[in-house]
Amino acid sequence: MKLALSVNGERREVDVPPNTTLLSVLRDDLDLTGTRYGCGRGQCGACYVIADSRAVASCLLTADQAARMEITTVEGLAKGDELTPVQQAFVDLDAMQCGYCTSGMVISAAALLARDPNPDETSIRDALAGNLCRCGVYGRAIRAVQRVAGTS
Amino acid sequence: MWDRHDPERLEQRIRVEVDGSITALSGKVDFGQGIRTAFAQIVADELDVPIDRVNIVLGDTDQVPFDFGTFGSHSVAQETPLLRKAAAFARHQLLGRASAKLGVPTEKLSTEGGAIVGGGKRVPYAELLDSEPLAGTIPDRVALMPKERRKYAGRPMPHLEARDIVTGRATFVADVRLPGMARGAMVRPPMRGAKLRSLDDSAARTMPGVIAVVRNGDVVGVVAERDEQARAAAGAVVAEWNAIPVEGPTAEVPMRSDADVDEKLRGASVRLAQTYVLPPIASAPIGPSAAVADVRGYGATMYVGTQRPFGVREQVAKTLGLPEKKVRVLPQITSGTYGRNSAADAAIEAAILSKGSGRPVLLQWTREEEFAWSPSRPEAVLEISAGLDADGRIVAWRYDEHTNVHTAAGLDPQILSVTSGRNAIPPYAGFPAKVTLHIEPTRLRTANFRSLAAAENVFAIESFMDELATLSEQDPLAFRLRHIDDERFRRVVERVAERSGWRERPGGRRGRGIACTVYHGTYVAQVAEVEVSLSGAVRLVKVWCVVDPGQTLNPEGVRNQIEGGIQQSASWTLKEELLHRDGRVMNTGWDTYPIATFRDAPDSIEVSVEGDDSAPPTGVGEPGAVPTAAAIANAVYAASGARLRSVPLTRERVRKAMPG
Repeated sequence: MKLALSVNGERREVDVPPNTTLLSVLRDDLDLTGTRYGCGRGQCGACYVIADSRAVASCLLTADQAARMEITTVEGLAKGDELTPVQQAFVDLDAMQCGYCTSGMVISAAALLARDPNPDETSIRDALAGNLCRCGVYGRAIRAVQRVAGTS
Repeated sequence: MWDRHDPERLEQRIRVEVDGSITALSGKVDFGQGIRTAFAQIVADELDVPIDRVNIVLGDTDQVPFDFGTFGSHSVAQETPLLRKAAAFARHQLLGRASAKLGVPTEKLSTEGGAIVGGGKRVPYAELLDSEPLAGTIPDRVALMPKERRKYAGRPMPHLEARDIVTGRATFVADVRLPGMARGAMVRPPMRGAKLRSLDDSAARTMPGVIAVVRNGDVVGVVAERDEQARAAAGAVVAEWNAIPVEGPTAEVPMRSDADVDEKLRGASVRLAQTYVLPPIASAPIGPSAAVADVRGYGATMYVGTQRPFGVREQVAKTLGLPEKKVRVLPQITSGTYGRNSAADAAIEAAILSKGSGRPVLLQWTREEEFAWSPSRPEAVLEISAGLDADGRIVAWRYDEHTNVHTAAGLDPQILSVTSGRNAIPPYAGFPAKVTLHIEPTRLRTANFRSLAAAENVFAIESFMDELATLSEQDPLAFRLRHIDDERFRRVVERVAERSGWRERPGGRRGRGIACTVYHGTYVAQVAEVEVSLSGAVRLVKVWCVVDPGQTLNPEGVRNQIEGGIQQSASWTLKEELLHRDGRVMNTGWDTYPIATFRDAPDSIEVSVEGDDSAPPTGVGEPGAVPTAAAIANAVYAASGARLRSVPLTRERVRKAMPG
């Protein structure tokens, strides 16, 4: 089926089988591989994108549903070479190891900061609770978001 | 088998490119432990170039010297001196060439930002190549850049790849895109080792997007244009299997057999015997295994996540019937896998699918496949008995480790004692010990896992040390110090006590526990503080850690690795247990195999890196994870009186073990 999506502020047309997930469209049709596959069940957060200002699992949305939303992926956060403050904070505090879960974490953090610029630590933990990390950078990621929130 | 025998050649290690940038080559790979950054630091220092002019090539089997693999935190330790020497040798050659070109003696020449300077002249490295690349056998002794001229080593550095990671540009294995690339999906048997009895792929072949159904022995998979199409068709393949149970090997290895252990145990004034149990756990990477294979014509190019690029080359060549030279393995950035990437399964499967379909193939395992088919950390049952004299000193120690095989490296007793038996010998001194490793059979697929058996053994040993201290009414810290005769070990233990304020005990439902070890030359001591609710729920509040990994290249990288090890180990200890029936894994998703989340992370993990600068660098990828389980269990005891000898420390277990 032919669909027109709005991804990172651009109109993108794709022709995919019915029920194709947004994750698959991003990775396989639009070459936006920064959104990662982790579980396919919305349980790990690796594939989070911002859909109409909320962080959601792109593996649980069909492309058809996504076509009615404004989608922002991790590639769409920075303006050219200029990182968003939360991306910069993740770099500065080395809040990553293998980096596989980082896209999803940055998306959750960006969505949180957009709706609440000064979240406290509990709100940060709650907002990122859907993002699993196995390397164990939770503490650094919390501090990165706190740095931007000015609540550390 | 861990040694290199061939002399190191400069051209296999360092290249000065025509644009003056430096390429450094290593057979090691980076899977999140930050070695790319560490290597770039030393090469940039030795060749006196800005670090962004250094390109590190890791594991490309067509370019790098042979390497056995990246294991056991050895990489930085083994590779750093070699690369440093190679880069220093390159600098000496450049100085020599510049001297000839400029007519200035080498003593009067120096380096500066990628150029040779001296006698009022300056010549960039790139102009010293004259189409003659740097080459030669690297001598044993090369004068290194003086410490005060090093700009990067020893300084905190974020990952070089950090910008690419936060912008999503980093290319992980599953992000590799080749022209004409198709997708694969496997047809899985009901249990490992099953033999294919019959196969009906007639329905699958006619499904949308299907390119081929491929069979090679007992390996069956589908190749299709899209991922979902490949999966749907794999589900439509009707395969019948003969189940043939596979059982792991058995062995018994005496690791230490001092005289008089039994006699001294009998004569002790106090004796204690306990058994500790750890379940199997999953490596559970956030990114399931993936591989891209391009097997067209007479040769194969493999894009994989692996700790052993040359091992993958050998296995893929064997599978495809190609000479090894015709297989190129290009390791990609990969999700952290904590040991699991020693196994090349996805790569071999992708190679089979690519050969069978004539297309480059990306094979992405599902979450369920990752849990069900990847190797796990073996379970362990650890029996310890020891005796104390009237003065409260250990007089004898007996230790029996029962576990399954931890690697595919074979059953040689020497190999078993450093893999499945790792850290079974206590780091304490002053008493005879008898330590025996028993490899028990299992139907579960077990293999390498972060720290091998050290995390299990140290859980038992350090829990038991606490129990001995309690039994003889000694402070757990003082009791340990009485049995430590290694000064570096003593220092980390004393320092963690200082930093955590060991003597001030938290009140209420909180308690603190200490644990320490020496892991492959890295000294590490931890204090954990927990809060135990009336119902037995354990919250990890804080962890202090002091680590001495010898000379430290990137203190920030060390801190990050140690923190991560502690966080991951806390998850193993408080949450994780892989359930299986006859080797078939039962919990294959994050809902049934929960790991620690942002909500479970402690308030803080305070890591103090106090490396002995005169000692060679040792690994930090694994040691952080080793003492944490015991530190937490000892803290739970201090907080609640519940002594847990089995992990995970679930609410039910803690509640049951609480006194009264």
